[in-house]
Amino acid sequence: MVDRVAVGAVWPVLVGLVFCGELTTVDAAPLCTNAQAGCHVLSLANLFDRVIQHSARMHGISNDLHSEFELYFLPSKNQIGRVSRNCHTSTILTPNGKENAQRMAREELTEVILKLLVAWRDPLWHFHQGLAHHHDFNNFSSNKSLEMSDMVHELRKGVQKVVEKMQTLGIISNSISSLASPEVLLASNSAEWRLMKDYDLLYCFRRDSNKVQNYLKILKCRIVPEHGC
Amino acid sequence: MKGGVELLLLLLLWSVESSSLSPPGKPVLLGCRSPEKETFTCWWKPGSDGGLPTEHHLYYERERLEGTHECPDYRSAGSNSCFFDRKHTSIWVDYVLTVVASSALGNVSSDPLKFDVMEIVKPYAPENVTLVVEERPESPHLHVTWKRPSNTDPRSGWVTIKYQLRVKQENNNDWKSYTSGTQTSFSLYSVSPGAAYLVQVRCMLDHGSWSEWSNSTLVKIPNYVQSQRPFQMLVSIFSAVPVVAALCVLVTKWKYVKLCLLPPVPGPKIRGVDVQLLKSGQSEDVLSALIVSQNFPSAVTRKDQMEDYVVVSDSSEWLLPASSKSQKKKKSLIIPAGFHLDSKLQWKASSQAEESRNETSDLEPPQLPSQKQTFSGANSAAANLHTGAPEKPVQPLANNGYVDIQRQESMQVDYSRVKEVNGDDVLILQKETLSVDVQRRERRGSEDYSRVKEVSSDSVVLLQRQNDCFCKEKGNHCCTNQTPRIPHVTGPSSVCTDLSGHSWTSEDTPSETQSGTSSQL
Repeated sequence: MVDRVAVGAVWPVLVGLVFCGELTTVDAAPLCTNAQAGCHVLSLANLFDRVIQHSARMHGISNDLHSEFELYFLPSKNQIGRVSRNCHTSTILTPNGKENAQRMAREELTEVILKLLVAWRDPLWHFHQGLAHHHDFNNFSSNKSLEMSDMVHELRKGVQKVVEKMQTLGIISNSISSLASPEVLLASNSAEWRLMKDYDLLYCFRRDSNKVQNYLKILKCRIVPEHGC
Repeated sequence: MKGGVELLLLLLLWSVESSSLSPPGKPVLLGCRSPEKETFTCWWKPGSDGGLPTEHHLYYERERLEGTHECPDYRSAGSNSCFFDRKHTSIWVDYVLTVVASSALGNVSSDPLKFDVMEIVKPYAPENVTLVVEERPESPHLHVTWKRPSNTDPRSGWVTIKYQLRVKQENNNDWKSYTSGTQTSFSLYSVSPGAAYLVQVRCMLDHGSWSEWSNSTLVKIPNYVQSQRPFQMLVSIFSAVPVVAALCVLVTKWKYVKLCLLPPVPGPKIRGVDVQLLKSGQSEDVLSALIVSQNFPSAVTRKDQMEDYVVVSDSSEWLLPASSKSQKKKKSLIIPAGFHLDSKLQWKASSQAEESRNETSDLEPPQLPSQKQTFSGANSAAANLHTGAPEKPVQPLANNGYVDIQRQESMQVDYSRVKEVNGDDVLILQKETLSVDVQRRERRGSEDYSRVKEVSSDSVVLLQRQNDCFCKEKGNHCCTNQTPRIPHVTGPSSVCTDLSGHSWTSEDTPSETQSGTSSQL
């Protein structure tokens, strides 16, 4: 009787695991092998350049949006009580300087980047939604927010590709946790960001996008230093 | 004693009161700057000191750092500054800074300044800006090189430096800016020789602020164009000489050049048409020459038109001085192109003629080599008329006499209309004229004409004396009773007399004597 119950329990679990496994692998598109026709193989340096450019653009947009908000709202920057800014990504430990970032292991740094990108997908989307309904803002801001939201999504996929390439080349180990890790999911589902005001959200994202850009550049110049470092 | 001390104290108090000492004025934080995104410096401006020695202290708080801390370095960056080294600098965290001025009379705090180090990045100006004039004969250009600010570190990827430079001429006030990207060199091509230029460079880290402009560097482009002028002049002179020579030749020898370039167009040439004939202007001749008709008219001989005569003589008197010509020239007969070699075309002749014709068969003429000329085309047909019955005496021709050809039994195809003999067997006659029995012609070939030695005038045909023996030699039926046919030559005019192939016209006036027409067929 116990056996039957066990089997009965194991079977759906197995099915569920297989199903989930398929789901998680859907996002990661397979990289080209050398001989595939019509498939242009990119070098790792090339991939890095692309994601770095992407992140630079993303940071530029966030900068612009933040400046616009400052014009509208003119928040007092010197409020003493706001030393600790409540960014919802504060829980993610990030290196605060050049030496710290250089000292960090490649895998760790890559994980940090991915965590940051995952954490911002939902908040930015909701921010854009809120902005679209708010008629105080012009279309320019609304378009920028949409672009920003898309870019985070694309950048995450791009970085994943870089990671896969690095793993196939043996540059980093396969110890990077999958994106379905619980802590990451929690971060994106946490309600903290819902409490953030728009201005704070933009400020936090501006900072985090700058982090992502810098970390990517450090990774690149550490792994493939020959091109433009 | 006591009075002196009291007096001093009073004086002191009085002096203090009269000098209006006050607590220090409020200092102002001017700003902070991070030249490489690894350290930063802040400056403040002190307020009035209130007459008393005042001290300034900078305190800061930082995100994710407990408590209030004091500036780690007041000296490195000069007076009234605070320098934060690498250990004390964190990026992406907020700093809140406050400066406190304190003197004997109290403390005064400045307004706090809150910032993130990422926002205050402003590098130093690029260093060692050098200008080199690259002298190339066609295009001189200015090559500008510089070095990145020494404290930055782009190699680790921590910062990306972008450069910008601006140029102006010495006297001008208009700067022209160029972006150099991440390169530390730049080439300026829009420089004019003899002018002096000022160049400045500045840079930026990531998305921060631009640095100050570097010091101006002056350079003068040398004026070296003159040295090239004689060379250019020589080149132009040498290249001009052949051109001028060619022009002269062209002008002097214009005619030859014209002939060479534009050869004269040859005049039109119509087959079968004699230009001389056209020139002579006889309209009838012209018409007949030009008419090339496919429809051969019915072979009706009109009696009145068959006033042809041919002079037949076997005497050598008739050898005209132009005989030599005949040897060389080719005589031609023009025959209307519409001549159908058709048995339909019959001579309508008197039965007598028929008979006579039937009797006669073409003599196979011995083709006397000296006289023989092959028929071939309009201009090359030789008219060898076969005389028949050489034994028959022919009266010598008077000046305008005609021979009654009828006397000769041999009768005769009317060759009056013969226009052309095409090949051995083909006669092409004029349109209006009678047809020759070409079939017979065919059979017999051109032997009928073999006897014609020469056609010397409009109405004179010289025939060759036919030797019997010659006939015998040939062994053909040339010596039979058959008599050769002799064409009628209608009219005194335009028997083929020369090479141009006149037609034998038939349009003679009806007034022609009919006497000679008894030989009509």
